Amino acid sequence: MIHSLLYLDPGSGSYLVQALIGALLGIVMFFKNIKMYLLSLFNRLFKKPKDE
Amino acid sequence: MNEKPVALPSSFRDPAGYMFRQDQLIYRLITQAGQPAYDGLMKSGLYATLTAKKLLLPHAEMPASFQGTDAYKIILPEQLPFISYPWEWSFSQLQDAALLTLETAKTALDHGMSLKDATPYNIQWLSGSLIFIDTLSFEPYTEGQPWIAYRQFCESFLSPLLLMHYRKHSLHSLQLAWPDGIPLQITRSLLPWKSRFSVLTWMHIHLHGKYAAKTGAAKEKKAVLPLAKFRQLLSSLEMLIRSLKLEEKGTTWGDYYTEAATRNDYLGQKEKIIRDWTEAMTDIKKVVDVGANNGCFSLPLAEKGFFTVAADGDPVAINKLYKNIRTGHLKNMIPLIIDFMHPSPAMGLGNQERTSFLERIGKDNLGLCLAFIHHLCLGKNIPLSRVAELFAASCRQLIIEFVPKADEKAQLILNGKKDIYPDYHQGGFEQAFSEYFIIEKKATVPGSVRVLYQLILK
Repeated sequence: MIHSLLYLDPGSGSYLVQALIGALLGIVMFFKNIKMYLLSLFNRLFKKPKDE
Repeated sequence: MNEKPVALPSSFRDPAGYMFRQDQLIYRLITQAGQPAYDGLMKSGLYATLTAKKLLLPHAEMPASFQGTDAYKIILPEQLPFISYPWEWSFSQLQDAALLTLETAKTALDHGMSLKDATPYNIQWLSGSLIFIDTLSFEPYTEGQPWIAYRQFCESFLSPLLLMHYRKHSLHSLQLAWPDGIPLQITRSLLPWKSRFSVLTWMHIHLHGKYAAKTGAAKEKKAVLPLAKFRQLLSSLEMLIRSLKLEEKGTTWGDYYTEAATRNDYLGQKEKIIRDWTEAMTDIKKVVDVGANNGCFSLPLAEKGFFTVAADGDPVAINKLYKNIRTGHLKNMIPLIIDFMHPSPAMGLGNQERTSFLERIGKDNLGLCLAFIHHLCLGKNIPLSRVAELFAASCRQLIIEFVPKADEKAQLILNGKKDIYPDYHQGGFEQAFSEYFIIEKKATVPGSVRVLYQLILK
C-alpha cells in the first residue's frame, strides 16, 4: 500500500480526509469545550486558592 | 547585476523563487511566477502583521538596478547567524516550531492567505527565538480550499512529537531517517495502540493515515473545507501539540552538574579560570562547546557576548538548556543535540541540500571541550592524535580539559575495561596537541586532578 503512494503528490490524499475531520471536529470540540467548562467550574468550586 | 544569480544547493523546490549568495549575503530572488504569492503577502497586510509579531523573518526589497533579467523582485532577508536542522533540535524546540507554524498559518488565514509549506526547515533560530524564514510559503486562499500543507505538517511535526510523547524517548534521530517527515503509515505502526484513545491523535494520524492512502485523485479535487472548519483544524492541531510532553527521565548526563557541583567547588574554580582566559579574547566570532551539557560553561560566554553553539549528545540536557534560554534575555546561543562521535551528516540532493555540522560551524571558532576528552579517548577508543586533528580542523583556539586516568570519572569508564590506552596521560596529550596547537596557558583545576589548557592553532 505504501508503495503505491510513491506516485502521488505528498499533499494528495489529505484533502478529502480534512473534510471528514473538519466535520468530526465540530462534535469533538463541542464536547471538549463542555469538558473544559466543567473542569474550570469544578476547580472554582472545590479547590481553595493557595494563598488563603 | 547582469548575470543570473546561482541558486543555493538547498533552494530548488519552489518555482516562485530561490535563495542565492552574493558578497557574503544571502538574497532571495522572486521569479515572475512568484509574483502573486509575494504581492499577496505584502499587500494583504500579512507581512506587516507577521513581522510585527516577530513570527516572520523581515526583509528589504532591493532596488530595480539590482535585479536579474527574469526576476520579479530581489529581497534581502535579515541574515541568520546559524542554520540548524530538526534532527538537532530537542523536543521542546520542535514543539515550539510546530506551534509557530500553526500560528503563522492562522494569521495567514486572517489575511486571506494560506500557508502552503509546513516543514521544520522553514523555522530557524534568530536572536533568542524561533522564526519562520520562508517568505514565499504563502499563497492566496480561496474559500473552501483544504490546507495543502496538512499532510506535511502531520508527518514532519506531529509524527515525531507524538512518537516521543508516547514512547518516552527523544527520537529526534528519526527525522534523519525520514528528512521529509515520518510517513503516517509508519507513525501509525510505531505508536502504541492506546494512542487511538486520544481523539485528536486518532483523527490526525490514524484516520488521516488510513484515508490518505485510499482516496482517489478525482474525489480529492472536489474536497471542500469551509474556512471555519479550516480554523478548527488548526486549533485542534495546536491543542494536541500543546498537550504533548517528553517525560524527562534522568539520562546519564541530565543531572551531571547537580552532582558535580558538590565536588569541592570544582565547577566554580573551573568557571573562574575560563572566565579569566576568555577576558582578553576579542577576535572570537563564535564559540562551539562540544560537550555543553546544560550549558554550565557556555552560558557565561554567551552572556559575555560571544555567539555560542552549545552542542551535546544528551537530548535531556539540551532540552533543559533550550527551555532555560527560550524565555530569557540571551539572544546569541543555539542549543543543539549533537553527538560529537556522529555529527550531523550532509543530507539531501547531491549531499548538498543540508550541510554537515562540521561544515556549518566552520573553522573560525573558539572550541570548548570540557570534561569530555576521556569519553572520546577512553570511552570510544579514539587516539589522542585523532582528537587533536579533529579540533585543529574546526577551531582556531581551544579550551580543553584533560581528564587523567586517575580521575574518578575516568575510572568509572575504565572500570571493567582492559586498559589499552598507554598513551593517554598528560605528556601524551601535550604531545598530540602540540602537533597542531601552541600551548598558551595551562592550569590544574583546584580540588581535582584535571588540567585546563588554552591552545592556539599553529
